[in-house]
Amino acid sequence: MDSTDRDIYKAAIRGDRDAFELIIRASSRNLFAIAYGVLQDRAEAEDVVQDAFVKAWKSRWRVRDPEKFPAWLATIARHRARDVARTRRSVPLGQELSDTPDPANAVGDDGDNVHGQVHAALAALPETHRIALTLRYFDALDYDTIQRTLGLTNGALRGILGRALQTMRKRMQPALNALE
Amino acid sequence: MPTIQDIHEDIEPWLAAAVHDQLSEGERAQFQEHLADCESCRRLHQEELTMSQMISSALEETKPDIAFEQRIVSAFHRKVPNRTGFSMLLSNLFRNRATQLTAVAALLLGLVQLGRMVTGEDATGPTPRLTLHRDLLTSAANESDDVRDEVRRPPSTVRSDVSGAVVNARAAKAKTDPAKTHSTNAAVGSAGVAKSAPEATQSFAAANSGAASTDAAAAPELVEEEPVTSEMMSGHDQPEPGTARAPAPEANRKLVRNARVELEIIKFDDAVQKIVAFAAEDRGYVATSSSQKQANGKLHGEVVAKVLPENLDRFLLKLRGLGELKNQTLGTEDVTKQYFDTDSRLKNAHVMEQRLIDILKTKSTKVADLLEVEKELGRVRASIEEMQGALKYMDAQVQFATVTITLAEKDMDEPAAFLLKRRARLALFSTDVEKTFAEVKGVLESAKAQLSSSTLDRDSSGEATAQLVLLIVPEEADALIERIKGMGRVQNYTEQTDRVAQGGTGMAQGAKVERDKVQLSITISRNEQEPALQTTSLRILTSAVADNAARLKENAAKSGAEIRSSSFSRDPDGQEIANITLRVAMKNYAVLLSSFNQLGKVKDVSVQREDRRGVVNEETAPADISIQVYSQPDIVSDEKGLVATIRRTLMQGFSALMWSLRMIGVATAFLAPWAIAFGVAVWVLRRIFRARAATRMKNDNAE
Repeated sequence: MDSTDRDIYKAAIRGDRDAFELIIRASSRNLFAIAYGVLQDRAEAEDVVQDAFVKAWKSRWRVRDPEKFPAWLATIARHRARDVARTRRSVPLGQELSDTPDPANAVGDDGDNVHGQVHAALAALPETHRIALTLRYFDALDYDTIQRTLGLTNGALRGILGRALQTMRKRMQPALNALE
Repeated sequence: MPTIQDIHEDIEPWLAAAVHDQLSEGERAQFQEHLADCESCRRLHQEELTMSQMISSALEETKPDIAFEQRIVSAFHRKVPNRTGFSMLLSNLFRNRATQLTAVAALLLGLVQLGRMVTGEDATGPTPRLTLHRDLLTSAANESDDVRDEVRRPPSTVRSDVSGAVVNARAAKAKTDPAKTHSTNAAVGSAGVAKSAPEATQSFAAANSGAASTDAAAAPELVEEEPVTSEMMSGHDQPEPGTARAPAPEANRKLVRNARVELEIIKFDDAVQKIVAFAAEDRGYVATSSSQKQANGKLHGEVVAKVLPENLDRFLLKLRGLGELKNQTLGTEDVTKQYFDTDSRLKNAHVMEQRLIDILKTKSTKVADLLEVEKELGRVRASIEEMQGALKYMDAQVQFATVTITLAEKDMDEPAAFLLKRRARLALFSTDVEKTFAEVKGVLESAKAQLSSSTLDRDSSGEATAQLVLLIVPEEADALIERIKGMGRVQNYTEQTDRVAQGGTGMAQGAKVERDKVQLSITISRNEQEPALQTTSLRILTSAVADNAARLKENAAKSGAEIRSSSFSRDPDGQEIANITLRVAMKNYAVLLSSFNQLGKVKDVSVQREDRRGVVNEETAPADISIQVYSQPDIVSDEKGLVATIRRTLMQGFSALMWSLRMIGVATAFLAPWAIAFGVAVWVLRRIFRARAATRMKNDNAE
């Protein structure tokens, strides 16, 4: 993190709204990616991002180290998203899964159909893998930023992304085969 | 540096990083090298590329739109309204650890202060004691000069008040010069109204500077001041320039000294003459003198003398020679502050006056304004005069010490005469009260006596009581009393003689003694009211109370007894009681008492005999008998038996239950606040621990 960023985080912690707004603009897409990674619903994810920023503003004075501000923001968003997911889970789990088409049975090179298969495969991934993927693919973030946001080491992130893509490949094998 | 084999075995992260273009230069070269060798890995890499593209295109549609950030920011603005500067400052301030600590400390302090206020403990600490000490010191300095004189005296004669005693201890150290003070006073006094206050203050300042310098330097100053003093004194007495000229560091103090002496003397006039002489010797004078003659020819009065303060003690010592000292008080009042306050206010008033005059002279404005100024000027001048008067009064007070001497001739309280007062009280029994009453009245007409009051009471039962109060000439009193005594049976006779001193107390040899009229109170009552010679009480246990009570009354009537009271009662438990009181002549007493044995079992007989002085006829003297005829109560009561016992037990059990309930209530009232406090504390602690745990978890995640 360069010194300008640190200054901005410090100012925000002290209560500078303009600085906080800068942070909102800079990191709202990352938070959206995380929230989407947990929830896989755009509207819900957007709500989560809004809530996360409000909560962050209100409890900003808890952060003593500006270096950890992005990771802290990500944690808030992740927790908030999980809360939302928990309340949503009153709908039976099996029913929700059956709504999404089973990627194994779906055949055809129709774009929408392939996208549906990708989404279903994503949904089946562990949460952390999915978040790493969304962070990477939404904004093509470099690994450094992702590491910082999720609080991971480079090796851990590489492992996570590798396993995630491997699982995706396995699930999407029929579609991949069909393409060849 | 990973080997080719490592890459192959852990191909997935390499594939992902390669597809995402996140490999470093060296890594990429190694990876390419491996792909070139390894067929399977090359195929996987191809798949991974396709997969990545698919994910990318699938997620493209779910990406946030362009306006996303703006929406988030405006939502933030909506949900977190911008606070005004002050409240934000305040809230930020309270997030500061130091501020929090300060607030807690302030709160605790406030609580402590509140507690102190509630318990009424003095919060200011030792300050009052300090001031007291200072006061003491000042008073010590004030009285030091009189102490100097006191020291010269033998200690046994020192009779000064408490502050004087305190001063004694410091006498050696403290030094003041009253003469100095008075010389400056004189300067102010002679200046009078004509001299303005600033000038007076200047002269004070001169005196001050003189006092401040060393003793040696102060001496010439004193000499300079001397003429003023003598000029001032010459009006009253011959000046004594040498008296009490000690160097004084505190010459500018204004002290009002006064003394009060009470003396017992032989002859009033001599004493007054001597006091006038003493006052003259000490350059003082007698201000007022008053005297009063008492009934016994003795004189008492008051003399107010004014002497110079430095001569006060010598004067008092001389006064003691006049007679016996009964009481002496010495007082000193420090009016320094008051004096200088008034002085400076006077100065201000003069300035004000001058300004008003200037306004009158220069500013010829409207008539109404001029009138206002005139009015104000009048007011200022009035206050100036008032203050000047006050200063003059204080000067006069300071200049002379006031000695109030109360004189009383010896044997002041000796009575002028004595009066012998004889009072007699006679109680008579008579068979016919009215007749005796008339007889006594008849005797009075012949004798030299007068009736002061007489009453004859007759109650509802026809019993009469007479009371008379007589005043008899002393010479005939004894004869008359003897005659009245013969008119009935004397119950008692008391006599009392008082010697009353007139116009004083104590004994006086020369006083004459007079005899007053003898007061005789006579009470005449009937024989029946005569107290019984013998009183007997007994109880008779019988089964038929009513019948036996009737038989008892018959027996009594036969033996000539008089039934004075009779009552009958029945208790709820079946017990019957009859109470009968009889009066019988002593001669029939034994017969009547023996007849009771036939009625039932006689119990608890008690006999009380009262032998009186004088001749009593044993045969006819009355004897009182009070009898209680009673039966046993029913043996089984309602409150016994199984049911009653059970009921009582149940009732006691119930009341015990109620009591325990009440105790539980009390215990709850005691414990509830603590339980609530404990609960809150636990809740807060758990919150803190949870927050810590969350932080730790976050850190773990970060790692």
